[in-house]
Amino acid sequence: MMGRFAEKCVLVTGSTRGIGHASAQRFLEEGARVILHGRSAKSVADAVKAFGAEYGDRVSGFAADLAQRDQCRRLCSEAGEIDILVNCAGIYEEVAIESIDDAHWHRILDVNTTAPWLLAQGLLVSLRRRNGVIVNVGSDSGLLGYVNSTVYCASKGALIGLTRALAVELAPQVRVLCVCPGPVETDMLRDTMAAASDPEAVRQGWQSATLLGRIAAPKEIAAAIAFAASPDCGYATGNLIIVDGGATAGRRIV
Amino acid sequence: MTFDYSGKVALVTGAGRGLGFAIVEAFLAAGATVILNDRTAAGVEQAIDRLGHRRVIPAPADLAAPGGAEEAAAPAIRLGRLDILVNNAAINIERSIEDTGEDHWDQHLAVILKAPLFTVQHVLPLLTRSQGTVINIASELGLHAIANNVAYVAAKHGLLAMTRAMAMELAPQRIRVNAVCPGTMDTELMQECARDSGDPDAYYRSFRTYHPLGRLATPQEIAQFVLCLASPAAAFMTGSAVAIDGGSTAGRR
Repeated sequence: MMGRFAEKCVLVTGSTRGIGHASAQRFLEEGARVILHGRSAKSVADAVKAFGAEYGDRVSGFAADLAQRDQCRRLCSEAGEIDILVNCAGIYEEVAIESIDDAHWHRILDVNTTAPWLLAQGLLVSLRRRNGVIVNVGSDSGLLGYVNSTVYCASKGALIGLTRALAVELAPQVRVLCVCPGPVETDMLRDTMAAASDPEAVRQGWQSATLLGRIAAPKEIAAAIAFAASPDCGYATGNLIIVDGGATAGRRIV
Repeated sequence: MTFDYSGKVALVTGAGRGLGFAIVEAFLAAGATVILNDRTAAGVEQAIDRLGHRRVIPAPADLAAPGGAEEAAAPAIRLGRLDILVNNAAINIERSIEDTGEDHWDQHLAVILKAPLFTVQHVLPLLTRSQGTVINIASELGLHAIANNVAYVAAKHGLLAMTRAMAMELAPQRIRVNAVCPGTMDTELMQECARDSGDPDAYYRSFRTYHPLGRLATPQEIAQFVLCLASPAAAFMTGSAVAIDGGSTAGRR
């Protein structure tokens, strides 16, 4: 399926697993050159090798710890000229307000909010020149408050603000969108469940927060990300694409 | 509208001037004891002199600095009581995307987003005891964006999301957490910006036109609404973001 992204170069952060991995897959299927990114060199090398078996030299990758600003800058220069930036790398941790400390704050904000900002700013010249697209992967947590997720909610709310502010200032050359998933079947979700005293209750809770009553598959979010980045979505900028199984739309009274 | 806050204690951050100062004035007029925070001791002192009021307790603290939120909360903790926390302190410096440096980004996130969280954390035992309330002063720019304000817009959007998360988490303790989203206010800061623009009339005119009601807000009218939101009149409100913006987020002409 060569198609919407032929000749396009896409950088997807956090693409060695989860939503980012599914997005990279989708962009590759549709003809893009994809730059993978992960935190560890080994995870990136493994992903490049795995995708490379099918997609050859259309796949490359770089490791960077996006909590480190010099590594964000380095990733920008390594990526070079790109058409599409997908800010997908993210961190989720549950902490009660009483127990939030400076380290928790920075772990979440640095990766979920500041890194997307630094990458957008750092890659701006080529994005402008190529009439590019920035897709930020937000969350329904930017729109709905969740218990023990104050910092995560703040980081995703700020990412929505970043999306809008970038869109206002970069129009019409660069479109900027925010795809907001609800719960997605990823390692991030599985890790959170594993850390809970009653993992099955956590799963049930997430499922019942949605109208569809289930957790999304990563490829269902990847499809929305690819749509946002594609010419099919050419009239949207600064907008949210909410793919949350209906979580923000309403709820049942139980 | 009159509200009775006698016997209540409010902490207002960033209250040396502008909206924060107006909120302090309004709470004092309604009978509250007010803990007044501003960045510098001199700023706090000046504000207290201007108020000429007995029921004001100084709480100088730089909320962008490490430990700033704890310092701002300390007088309330010494007093052993707090009913209302108004997170008002902010910073707003216009910069294009290209000119937004890391320090600028960090400052805006620290004052607008991080300080409210840690201030709430430090006074949480007091608010739990009083079944108190938190009011976060966001902005219409927490609801939509304008150019040359990327750090501010991101931080204010984050503050609204944080307001909802806190409202959910603190609801079992009956602590209400809400946000107010003012449009452009006619404050000292606004007057300075108008002067700096070189053409104050044109500057003011552009902001008047921007708001469908054709004028800027007064800090006093926003302050009155803050008193309403903190009062039993708003007892069923939590997690809300109330726009008081003369219609600027309502639509487009």
